[in-house]
Amino acid sequence: MNEEFKKALDFANYRQTFAIQRKSLREKIDARLTYGHNGGIFKIDRNLLNFVEMLIARDRKNDVVLLDANDNPILVGDLVGFRDEIFDRYFTATNEYFEEYQKIKKARSVESLLEG
Amino acid sequence: MSRGVILFAHNNRQVDYARMSILAARLAKKNLGVGASLITDPSTMDWMKESAVLDVASKTFEKIIITQRPSENNMKNYRDGRNRTPAPFSNGNRFSAYHHTPYDRTLLIDSDYLILSDRLNEYWDVDGDLMISSGYNDIIGAERTGYLDTHISETGIGMLWATTVMFSKTPRTEMFFGLVEHVKQNYRMFSDVFRFDPRLFRNDIAFSIAKHILDGYQPSDGYALPEVFSVNDGDELCDVTDGRLKFLLSRIGSPVLATVANRDVHVMNKFSIMRNYDKLMELAL
Repeated sequence: MNEEFKKALDFANYRQTFAIQRKSLREKIDARLTYGHNGGIFKIDRNLLNFVEMLIARDRKNDVVLLDANDNPILVGDLVGFRDEIFDRYFTATNEYFEEYQKIKKARSVESLLEG
Repeated sequence: MSRGVILFAHNNRQVDYARMSILAARLAKKNLGVGASLITDPSTMDWMKESAVLDVASKTFEKIIITQRPSENNMKNYRDGRNRTPAPFSNGNRFSAYHHTPYDRTLLIDSDYLILSDRLNEYWDVDGDLMISSGYNDIIGAERTGYLDTHISETGIGMLWATTVMFSKTPRTEMFFGLVEHVKQNYRMFSDVFRFDPRLFRNDIAFSIAKHILDGYQPSDGYALPEVFSVNDGDELCDVTDGRLKFLLSRIGSPVLATVANRDVHVMNKFSIMRNYDKLMELAL
């Protein structure tokens, strides 16, 4: 087989594995950002973080109703505790995403992608 | 309120569901921190005694519930990569989970569903008495997901995946499981109504129809479990090292390699689970 063609096929294999590993990593982090609280399920994202921080800044800290991922109203008794929990989860997850993403980004072969 | 995982295991001559259930239960216990119980039948129990796994099973499961093996003639082609092996598939008593479960809040999983994270722990306290997985998530992605992975037929309703089901014992869920039994008993009639292929009984279809009816013949807006992250039976689990499951994925063109770690995965190629059984069991230690 022509050497250049073989290189292209190897690179295609690498890109396929890279795409699957990246998808899997993104979904794993997404799962970490799901938070069950008081009967509801929250998706921790920048909207939720900002909204909760804004409520606390306006001194709404206790017995606040938030809409969860299913748009159901959920009563949050201690909003400061809730804020601390979602911030902690968000940064733990995104830091893990960063570290693992760096590994697969630097990997230059299928083998190193699988070990990453 | 008690919580736990239940699994069904009805062996055939090709697939040792009992051993697979022990693996799935141990992984669930380790990563979710809850107990597990098994629903099985007398012949599978006999096999467990004969193959000396009953002792392991007794240590793994809080309860082993013995019931009758479903009597239907359900034949399935079990795939192992490119190979296919026909064998009887005894899956027709899943509706009995409601009556058999010893738990107030139950997570029902397939024995080929490997829980490698604590993600499902977020759902125990969710205000939903019946949550079924909302869909199918292929490891490669949408390009390999067919319409019949997401719908029960070309013209039918959306498919829920009974691979993971969480429920509490309530009058509504009792009605639901009763309705699943009714769909199962009248499977051909429902196949005419919903236009699906009735040759192989599938719990996914029976659960989807029962849920659709109980939701008032409309898509549910209630809580659901996460999509089932799946590696299909045309793929192979080739190795398990350093907590990573390495898969060879079938694909048009050439196969491709990928790994999975620290996330729940539905490994549909049961033969490849059994080939890597000991290594997978180490993940449950």
